[in-house]
Amino acid sequence: MSRQSTPTWHLDEATLRAYVNGRPLTVVGASVEAHLVDCPDCRIRLGEVMPHEVVDRAWSAIRAHVETPRRSLPERLIHRLGISTETARLLVAVPAFRGAWLLGLFLVTLFAGLAALFTGKYGLVLFLIVAPLAPVAGVAASFGGDADPCHELVTVTPHPAARMLMLRTAGVLVTSLPITLLAGLALPGPAWLGVAWLTPAAAGVALTLLLTPLFGSTVTATTLGAFWSVGVVTAARVSDPVEAVEPAMQLIFTLLTLVAVTALVLRQPSFDHLGRQS
Amino acid sequence: MNTVTLNGLGKSYGRTAALCGVDLALAPGITGLLGPNGAGKTTMLRVLATALAADTGSVRILGEDPTTTEGRVAVRRRLGYVPQETGFPRGFTAFAFVDYLAILKQWTDLPTRHQEVRRVIDLVGLTDVAPKRVSSLSGGQRRRVVLAQAMLGHPDLLILDEPTAGLDPAQRGRLRDVLGRAGETSTVVISTHQTEDVAALCERVVVLDGGRVLFDGTVTDMVGQAAGRVWMAAERDPVAQHAWRTGSGRFRHVGDPPRSAEIIEPALEDAYLLLVGDAARDTELEAAS
Repeated sequence: MSRQSTPTWHLDEATLRAYVNGRPLTVVGASVEAHLVDCPDCRIRLGEVMPHEVVDRAWSAIRAHVETPRRSLPERLIHRLGISTETARLLVAVPAFRGAWLLGLFLVTLFAGLAALFTGKYGLVLFLIVAPLAPVAGVAASFGGDADPCHELVTVTPHPAARMLMLRTAGVLVTSLPITLLAGLALPGPAWLGVAWLTPAAAGVALTLLLTPLFGSTVTATTLGAFWSVGVVTAARVSDPVEAVEPAMQLIFTLLTLVAVTALVLRQPSFDHLGRQS
Repeated sequence: MNTVTLNGLGKSYGRTAALCGVDLALAPGITGLLGPNGAGKTTMLRVLATALAADTGSVRILGEDPTTTEGRVAVRRRLGYVPQETGFPRGFTAFAFVDYLAILKQWTDLPTRHQEVRRVIDLVGLTDVAPKRVSSLSGGQRRRVVLAQAMLGHPDLLILDEPTAGLDPAQRGRLRDVLGRAGETSTVVISTHQTEDVAALCERVVVLDGGRVLFDGTVTDMVGQAAGRVWMAAERDPVAQHAWRTGSGRFRHVGDPPRSAEIIEPALEDAYLLLVGDAARDTELEAAS
């Protein structure tokens, strides 16, 4: 932009200060403004008499407004449940708490529940496979190098690894259990069948947490899932899918859970480093 | 006073030894870590950043013992780390990502935390892209986002694994300025393949090869080791360890020069090539004998 000519006169300091404080007479104010548009020298002097705190505060507020990220839907929902925005941010950084994942989980468990209600034995097989694997998949999608894109950076922060582990596992259980529990309770047959999948689920979650630092979450969860699916299908072929969760198996899964949880507590310091798969 | 002391540091992955008995003491200032791929640079930086535990030897970082939980947490409170590679949580903006790391670094007061996040974003020159999603940024900008989080809280120990990879010359200039300032008070360790970055920034250089320290000293001393072993000639000389055609059309040679060679001033890169080349030759000779 070219300037026509530099004015030959300049505003005195008293006028500039009055202008900054918004106190000049209307006519004088308009002429001061017109002069400032034309005179670079007076603009510089205006900057000098301008209180910096006011400008800095305003600029800071504008930046805060522009930069502070809009919270995603899952983040807002988690916050609504009374969880701090900081904790909500820690949760949504991994795939297990993204909208697409939660919707997928909801649809799969709903489908398995409906299948069990309306399609007899094969529906029950599907339900018994899906119900314990939903939390296992959730844990796998929230923990370790496979799930957390900045796992290495997160590992070397002073934030306790055990807290993160428990926080995300609790989050996964809260999001994955209720629908399956409701579907389970509506199942035909004995009442215990509706909650019988909880012990293999507990064993699966505990084993996934324990083995992820060694083999990565994808390999661990896939292997456990494959074993469980084969087990349920075999039980169904031989006699009845319910055999996979009969009382003797309940005892085995409970013991497995206890062993895995004990090992987890003992191996806790190993979660404070990168796993072998990183 | 030494801020980092490594004694006989060893680390293996299965049967592969990544580090074999590394001794090193670091003080505030900038140390450059050079070495071929697979030399053990990343493993060493991961041990310094408390991401990995050493298998053998002793490690002391900022006066703390990183084998204990308390020691690790104490180091991590004063640490800034740029890993060789990192991903970003999907959908996070540059600001949200740095803020996420600030939460993990236990900045609990929100206004103070946001002020600090803004400071480091400004420091690395990303003010304009702070509200943009990381996925929409260029490779160089993403690298600077990672650097920004490392600068949170003025860390006493700054570990950077190839921070200049993917940066253009102007961005590298800015990075040197930021790191140069940090190195005035903090212990900064930079691993890189760019010898010119080391020559421009570091007082000290450590060369790793095959998990062992080949050289540890000042940049001037290392360059001095190549004195008399760099020469120019009109034709490529087959006796040279390395020879390449320069912009002037003549050939630059590194190795043991012939008698009448036109010896020139060596650069850090020449010294590095000689050091690694000599080590490889010694290993071959040992294997043959």
